[in-house]
Amino acid sequence: MDRKMYRKVDMKVVMLGQMSCGKTSLVERFIYKRFNSQYQATIGAAFGACCVTVQGCEVCVGLWDTAGSERYNAMSPLYYRGAKAAVICYDITDDESVERAKFWANEIQLHEEECRVYLCGTKLDLVLQDPKARQVDLHDMLDYAETINGRLFETSSKTGENVQELFNTIVQDYVGDPKTDLSAPQDSSFRLHTQRIREKCC
Amino acid sequence: MADSGTAAEGKAAPALAGGEAVGDELKDDTPGVSGEVMLVNTDSFEECNHDLDTQFSGGEDGPDSPLRKVQREQENELVGGMGNVSLAEEEGKQGSEGSGEAVAAAAADDSEEECVDEEYLHSPEWIQKEKHVFILSESGKPIYTRYGKEDRLVTLFGLMQALVSFVADSEDVIRCIVAGDHKFVFLVKSPMILVGVSHSVASIPQLIMQLTYVHNQIVSVLTGSALTRMFEKRRNYDFRHLLGGTERLLDNLLNMLDSHPSFLLGGVQCLPLATATRDTITQTIIQYCSKIKNLVFGLIICQNQLISLVRMKKFLLHPADLHLLFNLVNATESLKTSENWMPICLPKFDPNGYLYGHVSYLADDCEACLLLLSVDREQFFTLSEAKQKIVDRLRRHHCLEGINTAIRTSAYTVGAVGAPELRHFLYKSKTTAQFTCPEYTAPYNTPEQQRQLFGLYQQLHHRVHSVSRPLKMVYMVMDTHTLLGWVTKEFELYATLEPLVTKHNAIVYINKLLRWIKNEENKLFILSSPTF
Repeated sequence: MDRKMYRKVDMKVVMLGQMSCGKTSLVERFIYKRFNSQYQATIGAAFGACCVTVQGCEVCVGLWDTAGSERYNAMSPLYYRGAKAAVICYDITDDESVERAKFWANEIQLHEEECRVYLCGTKLDLVLQDPKARQVDLHDMLDYAETINGRLFETSSKTGENVQELFNTIVQDYVGDPKTDLSAPQDSSFRLHTQRIREKCC
Repeated sequence: MADSGTAAEGKAAPALAGGEAVGDELKDDTPGVSGEVMLVNTDSFEECNHDLDTQFSGGEDGPDSPLRKVQREQENELVGGMGNVSLAEEEGKQGSEGSGEAVAAAAADDSEEECVDEEYLHSPEWIQKEKHVFILSESGKPIYTRYGKEDRLVTLFGLMQALVSFVADSEDVIRCIVAGDHKFVFLVKSPMILVGVSHSVASIPQLIMQLTYVHNQIVSVLTGSALTRMFEKRRNYDFRHLLGGTERLLDNLLNMLDSHPSFLLGGVQCLPLATATRDTITQTIIQYCSKIKNLVFGLIICQNQLISLVRMKKFLLHPADLHLLFNLVNATESLKTSENWMPICLPKFDPNGYLYGHVSYLADDCEACLLLLSVDREQFFTLSEAKQKIVDRLRRHHCLEGINTAIRTSAYTVGAVGAPELRHFLYKSKTTAQFTCPEYTAPYNTPEQQRQLFGLYQQLHHRVHSVSRPLKMVYMVMDTHTLLGWVTKEFELYATLEPLVTKHNAIVYINKLLRWIKNEENKLFILSSPTF
């Protein structure tokens, strides 16, 4: 099995969250290690892949970076279906974005039992620069993360702070999960459609 | 040349002496003519006139909508308008958001806000913009303004809505108001009102056509049926909720409308490419895509030019739809770095449903963008795989280099024609809906000069297509240039020449130009119409 093959997606991860909260920037930082301050709303969704080595195991993360605009809501199931992890982003300098994050957390819990939720407060650099910019309390969110059995990170895509940690944790949790079958990475198009049936057999 | 002198073109030329009919012998030899059509061919103005007469029926997908046809043909029921679901979502929110008053009324109440608006409206910089475009809902809710912030212009939007409804009361539709240099143009497309305010040389039908393009862009993002449904549910719905991120597309489109001849001509420019290279590219798309069900269009574009287009049999692509695809790719820098999967509505293809587009650049070292448009929203990975195979084969056959070379070197200047007093031209082949034009050279070097030249073409175009008195040929001698516009069944030609050119020489040059285009036609145009 050629693990370097772009198409062999081992793990599907979906990015969700309100418009302009920084999903694309987070993905850019993770995959390409760069930051672009020019904002451009995503249309539809973008797919990117990045391989991460954790505990001697190379996992290719297939990332769906979805658009935040409400008009794409109807397409979201397409992106989170079969996902192993959802990175639900909110902007820590914008308390309204939390509502949207909670909406997505509910949505995921309702439809994707297998999918772990990772809450991600973005734009940490703005808060470090000016503590008054913070609108979302860290501890409130930690409490919330506990209630939904998820994890919480605060990241800055601009400085890169915590970004690698976030994705490493996601992959570690996945690799460490006894349900994960690492021996047989499969072709993504196959996986996405037949995964559930296969798992019932096990 | 011109030996018979009896051609219709000659007779119809009002400003040209009858004997000197231009280009008779070219009749059977018109450049860029092809019986094989892949784009819906249009007269430049058909687009506009057609659109004025027909409004979207709105509401449901009719049994005969093209999307349905594709599905029936493929016996596949996978597509679904997203509009439904987003509407359900919206209903849920309705309770929490109780700001149920008409904008005009609200604005009138709020004197403080009005004050701010007044200030804004009186800013000379804002007033002097050459062309404003405003979009509002039929109930007066602001949706978009080209300059400034739409929520600071509520009183102005209220006024526009009042004008529209005042005329609508007498069962009529407001089209335009002319006041001095300014033209105020209205396009009422339920549930939206589009208003253009311009003091440029663009004519009223041209401005209405531009508004039609803007409307098409919005439909392309939301679909016509979603727009209608949403508005029927809630008259005061704020469409900006759904259009978030679309401003960029509208801004870019409006800038292109003011400078790019493709919209004026209703045609598409092809990247000049050796026939062999283009054939290989087209064959490659066919090879890897013909087996994929539900794939309607596969195309490669770059820099607003078409490289190759393959279509499902029975379905043509309308140039107006292709312009929206160009605009999408042109305005979205981020497409360069990732594979993208997005719903795209092509209003001329089917205004009430989405196609799903796999959009990605061919490679890091190639600026061309591949679009695969399908009716199946689950097809991303199939198309992604096909894309990889297409790129691999194109690389093996050195087509990526071919495209890169063409991007760098294929643009030509008018000097190539060998007609010394010819300065610039636009040539549109009507049967294929494609056009070609040279790069700008002296005296059109600066953006300002290019803008003026574009204005001249707009005027010329307007004269030729005047509704009350359409012309087949116009020849205008002016202080700084001579203009020639010529329309036949097969082509439209607009040219600028030196001011002192003689009529006889002008004819010689134009004939030379037509022969030159004929010689180059396989490079300049796509004359075949490949299908999956």
